[in-house]
This record gives sequence, structure tokens and C-alpha cells, in this order.
Amino acid sequence: MKKNKAMIFWFSLPALLSLLIMFVYPVCRTVLMSFFQVESVTATTADWTFYGLGNYLKIFKSASFLTSMRNMMMIWFVGGIITLALAMLMAVVVTSGIRGKKFFRAAIYLPNIISAVALATMWIQYIFNYDYGMLNEIVKLFGGEKIKWLGTDLKFWAMTGSFIFGSVGYYMLIYISGIEGIPQDLYEAATIDGAGKVSQFTRITLPLLKGVIKTSITFWSINTTTFFLWTKMFSPIDTESSTIVPVIYLYDMVFGGKGITTRDAGAGAAVGVVLTLIIIAVYLITEQLFKGNDLEY
Amino acid sequence: MKKEKKTYKAKINWHKELRLLPGYLIVGVWVLFTAVMLGWIVGASLSTSREIFSGQIFKFESGVHWENYATAWNAQNVSVFFANSLLYSVISCVGVLAISAPAAYVLSRWKFTGGKALRIGLVVAMSVPVIMVIMPIYSLSVQWGIKGRVLLVILYILLRVPYTTIYLLDFFSTLSRAYEEAAYLDGCSAPKTFLKIMLPLVQPAIVTVTIFNFMSVWNEFFMALIFTTSESMAPVGVGLLNIINSMKYTGQYGGMFAAVIIVFLPTFLLYIFLSEKIISGVTGGGVKG
Amino acid sequence: MKKLTSLLLASVMVLSMLAGCGNKADTPNSEAPASNPPASQPAENSQEPAGKQYDGVELTMWSMWSTGEPQANVISAAAAAFEEQTGAKVNIEFKGRDVNKVLSASLEAKEAIDIIEDDYKRIGTVYQDYTMDLTDMAKAANYDSFSYKCFTDQSIAWCGFLNAITEQPNVGGIFYDKDAFAKAGVTAEPKTWAEFLDVCQKLKDADIGPLAQDSAYCDFAFYHTLVRYLGEDKIEELTMNGGWAGTAAEQAAQDIIDLRNSGFLADGAPDEFPSSQNKIGFGQAAMVICADYVTAEVNNTTGSSVNWGLFNYPAVDGGVDNGAAYMGANSLAITSYSENGQAAFDFIIFLTTGEWGQKLADEAHQIPADSRNTAPADLTGTIETLQAAESPMTWCASLSVNADLKDTIKSMCVELFEGKYADGAAFCAALDALYK
Repeated sequence: MKKNKAMIFWFSLPALLSLLIMFVYPVCRTVLMSFFQVESVTATTADWTFYGLGNYLKIFKSASFLTSMRNMMMIWFVGGIITLALAMLMAVVVTSGIRGKKFFRAAIYLPNIISAVALATMWIQYIFNYDYGMLNEIVKLFGGEKIKWLGTDLKFWAMTGSFIFGSVGYYMLIYISGIEGIPQDLYEAATIDGAGKVSQFTRITLPLLKGVIKTSITFWSINTTTFFLWTKMFSPIDTESSTIVPVIYLYDMVFGGKGITTRDAGAGAAVGVVLTLIIIAVYLITEQLFKGNDLEY
Repeated sequence: MKKEKKTYKAKINWHKELRLLPGYLIVGVWVLFTAVMLGWIVGASLSTSREIFSGQIFKFESGVHWENYATAWNAQNVSVFFANSLLYSVISCVGVLAISAPAAYVLSRWKFTGGKALRIGLVVAMSVPVIMVIMPIYSLSVQWGIKGRVLLVILYILLRVPYTTIYLLDFFSTLSRAYEEAAYLDGCSAPKTFLKIMLPLVQPAIVTVTIFNFMSVWNEFFMALIFTTSESMAPVGVGLLNIINSMKYTGQYGGMFAAVIIVFLPTFLLYIFLSEKIISGVTGGGVKG
Repeated sequence: MKKLTSLLLASVMVLSMLAGCGNKADTPNSEAPASNPPASQPAENSQEPAGKQYDGVELTMWSMWSTGEPQANVISAAAAAFEEQTGAKVNIEFKGRDVNKVLSASLEAKEAIDIIEDDYKRIGTVYQDYTMDLTDMAKAANYDSFSYKCFTDQSIAWCGFLNAITEQPNVGGIFYDKDAFAKAGVTAEPKTWAEFLDVCQKLKDADIGPLAQDSAYCDFAFYHTLVRYLGEDKIEELTMNGGWAGTAAEQAAQDIIDLRNSGFLADGAPDEFPSSQNKIGFGQAAMVICADYVTAEVNNTTGSSVNWGLFNYPAVDGGVDNGAAYMGANSLAITSYSENGQAAFDFIIFLTTGEWGQKLADEAHQIPADSRNTAPADLTGTIETLQAAESPMTWCASLSVNADLKDTIKSMCVELFEGKYADGAAFCAALDALYK
């Protein structure tokens, strides 16, 4: 087929431009900004003062930032294990040949299409309510003492829990499509060989889903580093140390939260860079961990 | 929740069903939980604040308060939020396609200078956290004086380009080159071939990715929070937050839950009819990794 | 009668506006206008009855309320009336409470805003560089004669000039249900901590939760005790540098711990806003430490009409600032780069005083910003309290000066009410541990 150079140029130019404007330029500028002392996000480069690693030193000395990083890591690690495990469980169940597969798949994915503002409101105002909330009704049913789900102790886990609930469906879909790509005859052969469901899962499903799991871990990492809305919903009046995450910290820093008098866009940029580095690190580590070719089938 | 009813031609194999019982229990409890939660919100949206806070929902002792819906709809400009979200979603979806489809096509068809770099760039861009982007964009928009609706739509379009291009690229590569060759022999120019022949061929992929883009833009929050300067520009996510805050301070909890339902309903209905498409949109592009 | 009053008010308004229009062209910051009376201009205006004073002027206001709130409704109506009267169109953006998160960046970007609305402390501190000096315009409008001196003084103390016009004054203290007190046999409002504990005991005996406490207000509640023992200046010093152990803060924390351990907090407290304060509306709790808007919030949410009373937080033994009471305000300010400063100022006065000021007070159930107006029934006496006030206590300002620790300290205040600390010393030690 003939190569039409003009067409290639004009067809790819808009995409190239959007990549440059929306991603390349901003990322470069943010990285650069993180090495400068910049108070206002709108300041022109002429107003930037070189600061070396000053911004990084500043945020890593800040108690709020460290708390926010700790919270994020907890969401990433604990929340990640629970979410991905639940998603895998649901995916296996849904593809196990149960009736109403389409219904269950759609119903479990449902929370993902609801505006997170609405979803978080349901959790906060109903599920976790101390007086009439669903969880405390269940606790009472079993004769337990009512629990303060939104107290300082549990608020973080309450938030993480509701975030997990909202996320499981998405990862389940990813796993389902992975599982459905596995040829059925593999299972049939295993069944004939007398392998039980569990060993079929650990010996066939998991190894063949390596690539999909890797992808889901990367997605989860991106998702948790951009965690923002749920914190905002769970601490509506002011930022709280129990629920703060890096993006909230950055937002307060750059745009000036309640009672914050000095803004610092440079430090905000440093937060962004740190988060990006984390994503890259996680990506490289998972690549390493799941090394080896994807099994061919 | 809508329970799907189907008549099964196969006879129920009780032995098999029993073996699957734990599975039914797991997904059943999960779905039940979702249903109870939604049900409660519906109940609360028809009750007074006093009933909600004293746990008297579903008794409807003071009657069913449909007026909460009227309050939620009128007190705030819910219709404006919907119109905004619709506007942003539709324009962004069209805009994204206009940029992504041609690029995906040429990327899938020819090797050219910078093609590989562009492709890698698009894949990497899918993983760039929005916060890395937001600050320079904010200052750019101030410098260039672009703001409000226009800015938001541009951002939504540009943000969705990487995902959409990669998604369509996969589909274009599955198409046989025989189509183009035939068209070439018929004297059809390359751009025309793309428009008249290739584009219609990937229509299913376009529909899927558009539905997915639509939902993403419809529910978008972070960008809208930062870049809308006026309530009249707010899409549903930000608008709902405004409603919730104002209803909370004025103690209209019934109205607040009614607003939640109002915002939830259109996406829910859309989902009931299009869930297959939406679901395949989720698993189509990125998963191949 | 009402018509007559509004007519009178309107004419006063017009007069004050005309008085101001002489210096409209001048930069509002200049000292000149005071000696430059607008002699000829009123006459000019009256010769042209067809043209209104501010025809063609457009003002933009960023409001801290959300559409649908009573304040927003009154402001919109006032803007329409103002346009009718003066020809100036006021575009109002209702941005909600989160306006404070975007204002700094927007002001810096010279966003087209004329009037901003926020807490007067933020106006006096965070946004001060972007606000207009209103001293002369205020003088011309005789602002001092109907406003509250404590807020004016405070504004000037923060930024050197008057930059905020009070819109919604607030007073804080312990709000209580008079009927609950009567039921428990409490006859007098407690003045000292001992009397307060006594009241709590009586309420508890009558099976009423004494003190409702939502976690959002825990820092505010504890701040009262802390200020009594230490004073705000000392708290600020400790918040910045640490060294809490060994100070009277230990006793302050101990008081709260004892209060909690005696079972004087309502069931479930500290709870998630507004669950605990709602208990007053349901007759399950009697008191709450908050500002005056709590009365309207509880009444609206629970659909009840509590018979509200207010007393100041009780005095403690050996306290240094036993009379401290919270007073604050949401205020309006004009951006320094606004081209229609005088028109904006006139609208602000139009909104906060006279007819519309009264409407704001009635509809939103708040203390009138214009001391000549009347307060809603259950806020009776608040105007006098505000007029007599000299240096009001802030809303936890000294406890949040350390930007890096403020979130943590706030959470620790909640934990204090949750009973996480064995005693006051343990609490202070935990605070000091933050400054390592």
C-alpha cells in the first residue's frame, strides 16, 4: 500500500499536539518547578528562584505530608490487597458458570458508574452512621456495642473500605476478561486429571493471569496516587490528619486551604514528582516480580 | 435493582448448582448490600430530616415526601448541572474522536518517523497522574485567558486522547489491508478511504469507547472543581457537592438524598441499557497492557 | 408602614451613595476624598431622572453560600433590588464554603471579581494584599455608627486598614435547651466550671445527655478551656514551638477527660456532624458548644423548635482569661483592583443594613450586621453582647497557626474527647512529641 506522507502528517498532528500540550509540556514544567521556589502557581518563570532540593527537603520534613504519604501507602498496600483479592474472587465466581452471570457482573460493576460524590454520601450518611447506620444495625443484631465508624480510629478504614467497595467492580471486569481468555479445554483436561477447583485456580488461572494482574497493579497504583475525592467527602469541613492524602496536601499547598496563609506551588510540584516516581517504581518492581514471559496458550 | 429473569432452556442441574452455592452466596451478599444501600437512599429521599435522623425511614408516618425531589430540583440548578455535563460529555466525545481516530488509523497502518515515539508517548501519558499536569495547565490558561467552559472541554478532550487512540489503534490493526487495496484500485483517495470505509468498519469500537469516554467525562470531578469559576458551569459531580453542602447546612436531608438519586438516575438508566457496551469499553483498551 | 420605612431607608441609601460618588473617580486608597466633598454632582444627577446612578456598571461577587441557602436567596433578591434602584448589575457566583480554597489563586490571577465574601479573619490576613482600603468610604457612610467596633478594630489590627464589612456576625458559647434545663431542675446558668459540672450531673440524672459534641467542633470546645487557662497569646506560642508539658494546658485537658469520664457527653459523642447536635432537637441532649448558627441548624434538621438559651463558657479556677467568648463574622470585601469600588461598597451597605440587612437576619436566622436592626427572637441580646465586646476570642486561631501541625492537633482534640489520653499530662506529652 502506498505511503501517503501528507496524510500521515495531518492525521497524526492533532494527537501529537495534544500529547505535547497536555502531557509533555506540563510534566516538564512541573518537574522543573519542583526545583524552584515558586509561591504562586500562576507565577511566570521570571519569578522563580532556584531552590535546589529545597522543596523536597521541605515536604519530607512536613508532618502533614508524611502523614499523607503514610495514609496513601496504607490505601495502596492494604486496600490494594483487599480490592484485588476481592475482585479476583468475584471474577472467579462470576465466570464459574453461575446463573445470571451478566446480571451479577453488571451489578458488581454498578458502583463505578455512580458519581463518587453520591456514593460517598451514601456511605457516610447511611452505612457508617452511629445511630441508625447499617453497620451498627448489624452489630446490634448480634448484640454488640455500637461502634463509632467515623471516629478518629476508624475513619481512615471507613474511607478505605468504601473506596474499595467502589473499586472492586472495575478490577473484577479486568480479571473476568483475562479469565475468559483462558481456553476452556485447559480446565477440562485438569478436571479429567482430577485437579480440584482450588488447584485449578492456583495452577492454571493465576499463572495465566500474570499479565493481567500486573496491569491491574499498575492501574491500582495510579488510582491511589490520585486519591482525592474520597478524602474530601470524608473530611468535608477541613483537612484532617486521619484522612489526608498527598493530592489533598498538594491542593491545600497550591491553592491555599482553609487557614493556610502561605502558598507554595514549588512544594506542590515536588509532591507531584514524588508521586510520579512512586508510580514508576511500582511499575518497575511489578515488572521485575512478574518477570518471565507470559505463558503462551 | 432489576433482577434479570431468563428462561433457561437447559434443565437445572441441582448437583452443579449446589456446588456453586458458595459462589452464589458471595456475589449475592455483595449485590444485596448494594441494593439495600440504594434502597435506603430512596427511602431517605422520601422522608423528612427528622425521620432520617431518628431512624424512622420506610414507615412514612408523615406520608411520602415526593416534594423533596421538587426541592432538590428547584432549589439548585440541577437542570443546569445536567445540561453542563451533557454538553461537556458530547463535545468532548466528538472532539476526542476527531483527534484520535485519524491518528490511530495512521499509526496502525504505516511505520513512519516519530510514529513509534508517538505511540509510546500515548501509552505513557495514560499513566501520568493528573496532578503533574494541572499546575502548568492552570498557569497556561491564565496566561492565555482561556477559561470556563471552553477550557474544561479542551482539557477533557486532550485528557482522553491517549486512551482513545490506543483503544482504536488495536481495532484498526485487526482490519485487513485488503479493504484499502480494493479502494485504491477503485481510485479512492487515502483520506476518503479512511472516512468512507475504514471508519465505518470500526464503528463498534467507536461506540464502545465513546460510551466509556462519555461516562468518564460525565462523572469527572477534580478538573471541574479546579477549573470551573462559576456554579453555572459546574457539571453534576461538582454541582452535587454544592447541593449536598447547602442542604446539610439548611438541614434538608431528604432533599439531599433526593438530589443524590436525581444525579444517580440518568447514569443508572443508561447503564441498564448499555451495560454490555460499557463493560467491554472498560476491558478493551488498557488491559492488553 | 413598612413601605414608608423602606422608602425612608432607600432615600438614606441614595443619599449615602451620592455622598460617595464624588470620589468614585479617585483611587479609593488615596487620602484626598475626605476634603473633597461632592458638591455639584448630586444636582447633576437629579437633573437627569432618566439615567440611574450606576447605569452600565457591572459588579461580580463571589459568594461563600450555595444556591438555595437562605443567605443566597436574600443576596440574589437584594442584588435585583439594587439594580432596580441604581442601575448597577450585580452578578453573583455562589461558590459555597469552599470559596476559600480558590480565592487566593483567583485574586492573584486578577480574576474579574469586585466583591468577595468570606470569614473576616481570612479577609484580614490571607487576602489582605488584594483588598481595597474601605476606610474613607466607610466614614462617608457613617459605618461606625451601626457596625460592631470589635470587628472593625480587629480588621484594622490584622491589615492596617478597614477592609471587611460585616455581613454575618456570630457569637459563640454554650447553647442550651431551656426546657431541658427546666426538666432537670436547673434554675440558673452555670458561671463556673464547678457549677457547670453540677448542671451536667442534674441533666444526666434526668436522663438527658448533658453535652452534645460533634467531632468537627472538638477543637473549638477544647479551645474554650485552653484559652481560659492560658490565654490566646500563650497558646499561639506553644502551638508554634511546643513545650506544652508542665503548663496549665495539662489541667485544661484533664478537665475535658474528667468531663468525658463522668459520662457528661451525649450518647455517641464525639459524633459525626450533625448527629450529636441533632440530639438536642430530639430532646436527648441539652447543651452544645458552638456559634449561634447551631440553633437554626438543629431546628431545621430535626424539625423541632428548641427553646434556646445561651451562656458563656464557664470560668475555671486560676484562669487568666475567664471571660473569653468567641465572636467572628463572615464579611464582604472589595478587591483592590476593582474598577467600581464605590458601587461595590454601596451594594455591600445596601445588602447588610436597613431593609435587606433585616431580611438577611430574619431569613437566615442570624444576628443582624446593622446594630439598628432587630435580632431574631432566640438571638435576643446578641446585638448588645457584640456591641459591648472588646477583643473577641477567635475560632481556634492560635491553635492553627502552625500550618504543618494544625490537622494533627485538630485530630488530637477529637481524640481527647474520645478518651484516648489517660490524663492531661499524657495529652500534653503527645502534643510535645509533634515538635521533635
